[in-house]
Amino acid sequence: MKKYIIRFLATLAMGMGATACNQDFLDVKPQGQINAENYFQTTDHAIWATNAVYNQLRTWDVIAFPFLAMTDIVSDDATKGSFPADAQRLSTFDDFTYGPSFPEEIRLAWRGYYRGVFRANTAIEGIAKVQMDEQLKNRLIGECKFLRAHYYFYLVRWFGDIPLITKPLLESEYYNQPRAPKAEVYNLIIQDLKDAIEALPEKSQYPAADLGRATKGAARGVLAKVYLTIGDFVNAERYALEVINSGQYALLPNYARIFLPEGENSSESVFEIQATALEESYAGATAWNMIQGVRGTPNLGWGFNLPSDDLVAAYEPGDPRRDATILYVGEVLPDGSGVVQDNPEMLNERYNQKAWTPSHPGLQDNGPSNIRILRYADVLLMAAEALNENDKLQQALTYINQVRARARGNRPPSVLPALTFSSKEQLRQAIWRERRVELAMEQHRWFDLVRTGQAATKLAPLGFKANKNELFPIPQSEIDLTNGIIKQNPGY
Amino acid sequence: MKSLQSLLWAACLLISTWAAAQVTVTGKVNDEKGEAIIGANVMIKNSTTGTITDIDGSFEIKVPDAFVTLIVSYIGYTTQEIPLRNQTRLEVVLREQATLINEVVVVGYGTTRKSDLTGSVTSVKSEEIQKIAAANPMQALQGKVAGVQVSTASGRPGEGPVVRIRGTGTLNGAAPIYVVDGLILNNIDFLNTADIESMEVLKDASAAAIYGTRGANGVILITTRKGARSAKSRVSFSSYVGQQQVERRLDMANAAEYAQLVNELSGRAVYPNPDALGQGTDWQDVIYQNGLIHNYNLNISGGSDNMLFSISADVFRQEGIIRSSYFNRYTLRINNEYNFFRWMKFGHNAAFVMSDNNREPGGIVFNAIAADPTAPVRDTTGNYGNTSRNSNVSNPAAQLEYNSYNRGYGQQFTGNFYSDIFLVKNLTVRSSFGYNLVNNRNRSYEPQFFVNDKQQNPESRIFAGFYRGVDWQWENTANYRKEWKNHRIDLLAGYTVQAITGEGIGGGRARLIGNTPEFFYLNAGDEQTATNYHFGNTPERYLSTLFRVNYALFDKYLLTASWRRDGSSKFGAKRRFGSFPSVAVAWRVIDEPFMQNQKLLTNLKLRASWGQLGNDKIPASAAIPTVTNSLSAVFGPDEQLLFGATVITLANPFLQWELSTSTNLGVEVGAVDNRLTLEMDYYRRLTDKILVAVPIPDYVGSAGDPFVNAASVLNSGLEAVLNWRGRIGKLNYRAGLNGSTVQNEVKSLGAGNQFLRGAFINGEVATLTEVGGPIGAFYGYRVAGVYQSAEDIAQYPNQGLVRPGDLRFEDVNGDGIISPDDRTYLGSPIPNLIFGFNVGFDIAGFDFSADFNGVRGNNILNAKRMFRGFGIPNFEADFLDRWTGPGTNDRRPRTTNGGYPNYSVSDFFLEDGSFMRLRSFQVGYSFPKSLLAKAKLSNLRLYLSGNNVLLWTKYSGYSPEIGSENVLQVGIDGGIYPTARTFLVGLNAGF
Repeated sequence: MKKYIIRFLATLAMGMGATACNQDFLDVKPQGQINAENYFQTTDHAIWATNAVYNQLRTWDVIAFPFLAMTDIVSDDATKGSFPADAQRLSTFDDFTYGPSFPEEIRLAWRGYYRGVFRANTAIEGIAKVQMDEQLKNRLIGECKFLRAHYYFYLVRWFGDIPLITKPLLESEYYNQPRAPKAEVYNLIIQDLKDAIEALPEKSQYPAADLGRATKGAARGVLAKVYLTIGDFVNAERYALEVINSGQYALLPNYARIFLPEGENSSESVFEIQATALEESYAGATAWNMIQGVRGTPNLGWGFNLPSDDLVAAYEPGDPRRDATILYVGEVLPDGSGVVQDNPEMLNERYNQKAWTPSHPGLQDNGPSNIRILRYADVLLMAAEALNENDKLQQALTYINQVRARARGNRPPSVLPALTFSSKEQLRQAIWRERRVELAMEQHRWFDLVRTGQAATKLAPLGFKANKNELFPIPQSEIDLTNGIIKQNPGY
Repeated sequence: MKSLQSLLWAACLLISTWAAAQVTVTGKVNDEKGEAIIGANVMIKNSTTGTITDIDGSFEIKVPDAFVTLIVSYIGYTTQEIPLRNQTRLEVVLREQATLINEVVVVGYGTTRKSDLTGSVTSVKSEEIQKIAAANPMQALQGKVAGVQVSTASGRPGEGPVVRIRGTGTLNGAAPIYVVDGLILNNIDFLNTADIESMEVLKDASAAAIYGTRGANGVILITTRKGARSAKSRVSFSSYVGQQQVERRLDMANAAEYAQLVNELSGRAVYPNPDALGQGTDWQDVIYQNGLIHNYNLNISGGSDNMLFSISADVFRQEGIIRSSYFNRYTLRINNEYNFFRWMKFGHNAAFVMSDNNREPGGIVFNAIAADPTAPVRDTTGNYGNTSRNSNVSNPAAQLEYNSYNRGYGQQFTGNFYSDIFLVKNLTVRSSFGYNLVNNRNRSYEPQFFVNDKQQNPESRIFAGFYRGVDWQWENTANYRKEWKNHRIDLLAGYTVQAITGEGIGGGRARLIGNTPEFFYLNAGDEQTATNYHFGNTPERYLSTLFRVNYALFDKYLLTASWRRDGSSKFGAKRRFGSFPSVAVAWRVIDEPFMQNQKLLTNLKLRASWGQLGNDKIPASAAIPTVTNSLSAVFGPDEQLLFGATVITLANPFLQWELSTSTNLGVEVGAVDNRLTLEMDYYRRLTDKILVAVPIPDYVGSAGDPFVNAASVLNSGLEAVLNWRGRIGKLNYRAGLNGSTVQNEVKSLGAGNQFLRGAFINGEVATLTEVGGPIGAFYGYRVAGVYQSAEDIAQYPNQGLVRPGDLRFEDVNGDGIISPDDRTYLGSPIPNLIFGFNVGFDIAGFDFSADFNGVRGNNILNAKRMFRGFGIPNFEADFLDRWTGPGTNDRRPRTTNGGYPNYSVSDFFLEDGSFMRLRSFQVGYSFPKSLLAKAKLSNLRLYLSGNNVLLWTKYSGYSPEIGSENVLQVGIDGGIYPTARTFLVGLNAGF
């Protein structure tokens, strides 16, 4: 019997360790990552989650092909560019043949901006729970609200009525969100921006290291544009003037320099998407420069979004802004590093000089330019437009003439002469024209055309159909996935 | 007095025993041809005493008395039991086994006789595995096992193939698991072919269910060589040396033809005189080479009462067929077993592996066909030719100089340590601990260089990384076997634990202080350019209990039932455990009395099985919501990158593994003394609860769709294996045929999923998985012809912007407009027939064998013809056969350079992927034993061999084998590393 006892003991010894593993053995944690259930505990979490909302601004969906196609290319300022066969689907934005499921850029824009909303919602909800310095907490929530308004403002202008999502959805809510009336969306945007104005410091009140975060001025400026868009000129005037009277901003004397590296975060900057070309990685960059860069020699990019003949013709004689906006074949690059060579494969070859960037670490896709979302000149022209609509023509003239004078620089007064008193309608037209040339190729034209009701007339030759093309089609996938709860825009 | 008597008795007994032990039996063992068998085992029955035959086939053994029974055995021959009956001189003739129905087959957690098998298991022996010269043993299974598709994903040295057992049963990881001497592993890249004794493919649920959540894609059991009890150590040496070359080359447009096409596309004379350019450069000449492949394996094995040992050392070296690529591997394997006590033994199967490799420059395969043929390799000034003039294609020769330092180094220890205790009669307990440690390093370097403005690197750069993976497994099993009267029973119960972890660290820097390998360290680069990473894989852990019963009644009614309960850390706390049952029955009809009077059949067995298995090859994090790091924002005058992190993807904590239910019906037939065998199986495998990312509306804002257990896929088919062995005079010959069909159908993709998109090519969906179709079906436009004229364009449905000479698409939905809605199913990447056949013979020491394999019924999307990229890369020569005016061509369009419609995904680029290959042939000569005896050799065989010798296919690319681990995008040829044709000479010698 004794021999069996030894055997049994040996067997027990062998098996003991393994059977000691109980079910806790199966509880594992992701390594080097925070489990989402444990997020929003500390001040750092609040800051990180806010930074992540800004991060979405630099993604492909938000500022690359979808953005450029649905702002400049679709307008009369620009054509698709590159050579005809390259990303040919984008030519549907030149001739208004895009539809609900093709090309995918429309869905990508929808997706990208809603992902921004998701990150903002996550942060707003999460930061509220964090025990932290109240002032910082308010500021961070204010930044997130500003950004949520930014994302929604593009969505509502592109698509009209849209699902209004204000917190992360539960699984049971994924498939049943209807389109909220546009007015409700604007209400949220306005409320978010008012909250942001309340919570955010002025540009000068931020520590230097926070340069580029949303400011009180940025929230006011965007709010002015929101009111302008919905035709509330009284409020548009109010908020534009608040920006102007804040004393935080001034026009940069040299127009061309706004778009050079030294023009980033200048006195004229109200809000910019911050980007940089790092040595070690592309983590700070965007694709915005590459897409619009010179295609061929010097090889700076893909050559999309080319200024149109119509835009070239829109400038007054001698307007220096034309040369500052358009990079022609044969032209010396702004930094003198080369001359743009003819690329025989390109049609209509001239490039968006505002997207040009001098040599930087990394390759083309390490695009360093800040994307100027709101400039002080834009605010001045918004003020002029609102004042004119509110029958304060003289005051309106001052602001538009400030913009013209800056553009003129030290050229003779015959260039871009100061405008004088004229009828409200003439001044309205003059302001619209001024907006076009001042802000050309900065992705504003489409919204101005639609907002002012000029789209139908100006874009009809390109294929624009009134009562249809003012809005983009809702991506077909959204209609399919909600089983028709989401309805298509008229005409698609 | 009494004690004296006792003493005398005892003395007598002792003397008689001693005297009896003096009986010496001598003998000779021959085969049927009268050739001596060297190394045959001669054992005394029911003892551990034995010897082996010498080079004359002779043996001498001392036996306790002249009435014992001797057992004479030799691999491949029928074992004989010979009662001595007072003889001291024996002449034994061993018969070669006509078929191996009584061979022992390895199954999960044990072995069984082939005749007792109730499930579908195919065994492949080492001779077959060694026919293919490759780093990865799975290459050798191609065409050998019905129901198993092995396809090369890349011909890069050292890379393993894609393996599918009985179709593709999931939308996620569909690779089988490998069990090497009991240790569950996900790949066997480290194993060398010569160390393998046998490979068993467990195909049906009955065979694989014992592996529970891991077994749904099939299980491949690998047994490495072990020692055997013998009087004398066996030394064997095998080696081959060969040359590899690219199996096929593509016919590219030459310089004159290319120049003409460029002129045509540009609408002006970019090249004023194309014809003067002549042939130009075929860049394939630049990158391909004849690569050397060689292998040396030395094994010493043997054993005594106290231990068995097998020690082998192996060197494998392979140069790639693309310059600069290579793979070398060095292995030491020690498989020993020690009998500590009569009731306890301990053993280990341990391998130490070192490897190093270099990868070719990225994209060089594509560049070699896309590069400008008018550019010289080097121009007259000695600089590299500019291939980027009309495109962005790099000069492959310059790439070879500047971009080919991409080293990888691996060290691996894979070992299994076990101890068996014979607890009580018939009951054995085993505890087995397996450990797999992988240390990989990689380092790549790119110098500063300038070829032209598009092919340049302004500053030197280095990347280095380390990866360490640790995987351990502890299994405790008890096995009870008993036979009584007409019953045999074999019970197995076990408890197992496994844990898998891994972490990686590395970084990169630019502006190195030197350009030779001693400077290829991060600290030789500029600190300001430093990047780094360090990550840990989410640990995977498993807890399982398992049971199995094998029962045989009258040796002809057989039953196997198994049950495994698995817990997996990949799933949320509430969905962690699951049970996987299986049951199988078999009936050896041949042993029934009513079969005894017929002469036609010598074997007849029917089998049926049913079982359930799991698949957990899903991302380990799919059920755990995590915060995504590195969502940084830029702020401040210095443009600092500030850390950002948030939740961007929704997870599903209710995930479970995929469940596959399979049924198998089989029949085994033998005739003519089992020289003719036929084995047929029907299988049906339904995988449910397949994890699939279900699309949610984009307004939800999740960066990825959450996974749910929603889809299901059905695979079904027939497998048949037919073998014949015969003899004409002194000529032994054999022929075999195996084939299997696969019907793959997606039954459901979950609510809201009409389809899953797979690959995108030129911005368009190229593969689509739809309900009712096969996984990863090709999807696009159907070509109806070529527009011959403007009238044509007006007459046919509106296709948008087209010109005469463009491809004309079919209006599939009949709405009068060609739109993306007209894209449709174009073909399947999954073959519906996989087959292999082989012939062989031997006579007078010569042997010959040829193995063929192939597939039928699948398509390949020749995507590399579709990539026009930027500018005008070179064309394949058949693009010259083009539309040039009305009536010139109704099949091929005019020359265009990308874009709709000619480069949209359409069946214009879809080709028939069927092929048949002479996978291997061997001609060998074994020297006569009489001759070898003088050289103290027991055997010596020299052979000539070829792999991938002949290929029959309509496919126009490098190789019709286009494997991909991503099941949603299989069969897309984007310019893979081509497969090689190999010719070798080799030898096997035994001492």
